[in-house]
Amino acid sequence: MTPRDMSIATAAEAPREWRRFRYPHSLVSYGSWLIAFTVIVYSIEYLEIPLDRVLGMFGRMGEILANRYYPVDIDYIMDVDYIGSVVETIQMAYLGALFGLLITVPLAWFAAYNMTPSRLFVYPGARFLSMSCRAVHETIWTILFVSILGFGMLPGVLALTLFSAGFAAKLFAEEIEAIDMGPVEAMWATGANLFQVMVFGVFPQVRVAFTGIGIYTWDVAFRAATVVGFFGAGGMGWYLKRNVMQIETERVAAIILSIIVLVLISELISAWARNVVMKMK
Amino acid sequence: MTASSDTASFGLSTETVLVTRRRKRLVSAIVTTVLLALVVWSVDVTVVKDTDWERIGSVGNVLEATNRFIGIDVDLFPTLLGPAIETLLIACLGTFLGVIICIPAAWFGAMNITPFKPITYPLARLMMTLSRSVHEIVWALFFVAVMGLGAMPGVFAIAVRSVGFIAKMSAEAIEDIDHGPVEAIRAVGGGPFQVFFYAVLPQVLPQIIGVVIFEWEINIRRSAILGLVGAGGLGLVFFRQMNTFNYHGVTTVILAILIIILLGEAISHAIRRRMI
Repeated sequence: MTPRDMSIATAAEAPREWRRFRYPHSLVSYGSWLIAFTVIVYSIEYLEIPLDRVLGMFGRMGEILANRYYPVDIDYIMDVDYIGSVVETIQMAYLGALFGLLITVPLAWFAAYNMTPSRLFVYPGARFLSMSCRAVHETIWTILFVSILGFGMLPGVLALTLFSAGFAAKLFAEEIEAIDMGPVEAMWATGANLFQVMVFGVFPQVRVAFTGIGIYTWDVAFRAATVVGFFGAGGMGWYLKRNVMQIETERVAAIILSIIVLVLISELISAWARNVVMKMK
Repeated sequence: MTASSDTASFGLSTETVLVTRRRKRLVSAIVTTVLLALVVWSVDVTVVKDTDWERIGSVGNVLEATNRFIGIDVDLFPTLLGPAIETLLIACLGTFLGVIICIPAAWFGAMNITPFKPITYPLARLMMTLSRSVHEIVWALFFVAVMGLGAMPGVFAIAVRSVGFIAKMSAEAIEDIDHGPVEAIRAVGGGPFQVFFYAVLPQVLPQIIGVVIFEWEINIRRSAILGLVGAGGLGLVFFRQMNTFNYHGVTTVILAILIIILLGEAISHAIRRRMI
């Protein structure tokens, strides 16, 4: 007796049972929930998370926040030196995003499936490059560059460059892959070479989107720039590190507060700039 | 004179078109100049003045310093397996916890179903912005200070950090839903909870699961470095190798991180493609 026959048979005495998922689908659906649940339980077990202490943790967290972090040391972040470091952070993010975008243009071109010069060699290479820039976290790039070039803002700029390149290349390549191929084919037909097709057929189509992505990249790079200093690459991260090491929690709270405010401001500016760019289209 | 005949039909003269065009060109020239001036200034301050060029020395020295990293420390392989699994599981658990925190955030943050607009909507938006604007390292520092060393602060840091993205995407998905089912549940007397669970959630679940898996993939990247500030996983091994100047070991750890991330990307890609 198939489930269908059963349901017809029982329909006479009881209202037919409604199920969201029927047999083969339900197995996949509930099976994947079960797998997810098992992974969660296993990770709690493996990571030795003390579940009984988790709830008490929140009370302690509030207590620590109120006692140690609370009277935020505003004077510290109003200091001239600190504001200088904020300006340095902004400059680092600006340069990093800019250099990253400069790398991104050719990288995204090579990594866009429809426009790449060679699908066999250049395409996978460019994809791999952009992916490894993205995969390695910006703090690891910072540590590597600091150990090669020494302390200072140059390693920070380089780390942010790779970070922004990885971030923007993916978005930009997707943008190139989504263009209208009409103008491109028209240009091929008139005998233009690949470079001319890129400059006159593709870039005019993605220019606005690219500007938007560029502004967004700056925004993201600024967020990353606030901590690269933590590993020795200048900017406000260095102040954060020093105060964390000295357990000057009130100053740490002030620095975190200033980071939040700055990121909010940068987010507003980037949203406004992207709006302006979109309108110019 | 096609330009004038085209624009004449919109009630514009050639004069005004030329003036707007000239103004546009002027604006873009000014913007470009300002941006370039900023570049020059930033390069001067950050790269030229702040760099210790004597320490860097010649190109040969830099190449030599880079060369130290080329090579693999085979002895490290057995000790990497545990931290690698730990990194993956921190990402899983952090994402899970983030999703739990997200449920109220997305519910309150979606314009159309937020229970009490003047208070809950700004509250949820504040939560999302706060979570997104603070870097994971900073979150980890805070949670390590509160909870002590170990995997737990890492899980919490990742959870809190991922709330912003998941909640924002989910709230946007919720704002785009079809309103029929919501009204139907309301009409039969369902409360806000029932509306959320029976009318809203089934419509947005596939999208949200896609976002969550994407965020999980990013979270692997994050959990791989949280060990740098004392939150377990591969970052801790990286930190130790760096501090003992075992440069080949550093490269090995980075390769391990890359492999895990590739694995995560493959899994996430496979799941998302099967779902869509």
